[in-house]
Amino acid sequence: MKKTSRIAPARVAQTLVYHAVMLAISAVFLLPFYWMAISAFKNNAEIFANPVLWFPDPIRLENLTALLTRDDFPFLRQFANSVFYALSVACAVCFSCSLAAYSFGCLRWRGRNLVFGLTVCALLLPGIVTFLPVYLGWTKLGLNGTYWPLIAPFFFGDAFFIFMLRQFFLGVPRELMDAARLDGASEFRIWWQIVLPQVRTPLIIVGLFAIVYTWNEFFGPLIYLQDRDEFPLSLGLFTFQAARAREWSISMTGALLTALPMVVLFLVTQRLFRQGLASSTLK
Amino acid sequence: MGAVQLLGVQKFFGTMEVIKGIDLRVDDGELVVFVGPSGCGKSTLLRMIAGLEDVDGGEVLISGVEVSGLAPAKRGVAMVFQNYALYPHMSAYDNLAYGLRRSGMARADVDSRVRETAALLQITDLLPRRPKAMSGGQRQRVAIGRAIVRKPEVFLFDEPLSNLDAALRVEMRSQIARLHQELKATMIFVTHDQVEAMTLADRIVVLNSGRVEQVGTPREVYHNPANLFVASFIGSPAMNLLPITRGEDGSILLESGEQMIWPGGKIDGPPGRALTLGLRPDRLSLVAPDQGQISGTVHLAEHLGDETILHVQTAAGRALTLKCDGDAPARLGDLVQIGLDLTGACLFDPDGRRVQ
Repeated sequence: MKKTSRIAPARVAQTLVYHAVMLAISAVFLLPFYWMAISAFKNNAEIFANPVLWFPDPIRLENLTALLTRDDFPFLRQFANSVFYALSVACAVCFSCSLAAYSFGCLRWRGRNLVFGLTVCALLLPGIVTFLPVYLGWTKLGLNGTYWPLIAPFFFGDAFFIFMLRQFFLGVPRELMDAARLDGASEFRIWWQIVLPQVRTPLIIVGLFAIVYTWNEFFGPLIYLQDRDEFPLSLGLFTFQAARAREWSISMTGALLTALPMVVLFLVTQRLFRQGLASSTLK
Repeated sequence: MGAVQLLGVQKFFGTMEVIKGIDLRVDDGELVVFVGPSGCGKSTLLRMIAGLEDVDGGEVLISGVEVSGLAPAKRGVAMVFQNYALYPHMSAYDNLAYGLRRSGMARADVDSRVRETAALLQITDLLPRRPKAMSGGQRQRVAIGRAIVRKPEVFLFDEPLSNLDAALRVEMRSQIARLHQELKATMIFVTHDQVEAMTLADRIVVLNSGRVEQVGTPREVYHNPANLFVASFIGSPAMNLLPITRGEDGSILLESGEQMIWPGGKIDGPPGRALTLGLRPDRLSLVAPDQGQISGTVHLAEHLGDETILHVQTAAGRALTLKCDGDAPARLGDLVQIGLDLTGACLFDPDGRRVQ
């Protein structure tokens, strides 16, 4: 006799309600993004039309052309700046933080725990507290207006990423490093050739976090950069919106194109992101 | 190949002294096994010889040269680890070649040395594979190959067989013994497995709480334990330990009141002297009623085929272990009479020192 499985009606109703609530919450969160996306393909009149146009008709691709050809908003230049800024910081963070994490997680030296404790304490220190002396320092060096103040500090580590990477480094078997020492490898070589390949995924995760953080970074560029051609997109978009408050369609196109790389990056690497978030909180 | 000499070697973890001034000489070409309970310091001592742990006191000499201040790679030692410690992202070939490349050897020489070692260990077909594509036994052979390929003066094995199943352990044990014969190398092997220690060692070093309790051949350590610790640690099942007193005539007085003559004649010391009698389980046997020296109840019978291990609780509450024939009639709960054969028995004083 053929058996058919039946799900209790109460269970079906529970599932439906659960999904309806989750969809409603998701819609609330997604609405601003959807609004930005459709506004990128409307003109100003259509953006503020009443009743609301929930789908652009016609789809105005000319906004895109206008954005890319404007003299007062060097979008492509600023996009390139953002890419340079984000990749530089990601490389700097991966290099410096993995070295520090190797030292904290894999090497034994007197005062290691104390120094690590102090490093973690830096997480509790608001950036604004150190901002002024750091700013004055860069000014004295004559490097204001360049990307040096924005990138160089990351070559000296970042407390959060050091903490995160150390958790992974602690998981690398000590015997691997011992074997490499017996094989005649220096500590730098052990870090580079033996340990880093074991933490490749966490390192990519840290790099991705650094890219997202830098891509959205606003305060640092605002303080240190003065030339519009040097701005990253986060600052470029803001200054454009501030100067051309009425050009909503161009602003929204710019916002869409600014957000798009991060959305694509997240979709492609979301498994790694989840893994990174879980490991940094649970370990 | 080189001899290893330890002169008053000490190690502290914080304020705790974990290696307490060990003096030891491992001769050229000798296979010495460090054995002892968990936490006795055997792996720490091995790591100190390798240079992976700092020496806080004393000297480590390899081939007569003081190496305490030298980096691990400059000591002429190679080590095989418990968990293999193969580089997971490298092929077996690269694992073997890594150390040679670090030493600056020419590529052609590296290649010939790796292939020669692989042939010796019959792992040539494994060379392109990464560790995750190998079984435990294959990984262990590659790990041994990585040690051999450098042609070190001293091989150090840190419980290398612990992660293998029983059958593979036997196979690898014989392979290590064969390698020792072929290479005539100085080898130091750490294990907590007595079978490994007894079967592999030229000499056994029994360690306890950071001290050497006894150094000797497997036979010496088994038959002539220096103290109560060695007597109770070496041998499986462990030696039976019975409290006795010296009789007026130098005989043995058991707890049960039975009197026995010591094989050598008389026990030294004054009458009434409290001692501990050590007897291997094969020196205890089941005898007919009223013919034994001790009676007890069987509370566990382990039938191993050709022999049966009986665990007996005596009337005085002592636990005894007997090694009997496989067809020994005793069953759980049986009241049995036990006869003692004092041949090869040991006597220990209250401080645990062997006295006779």
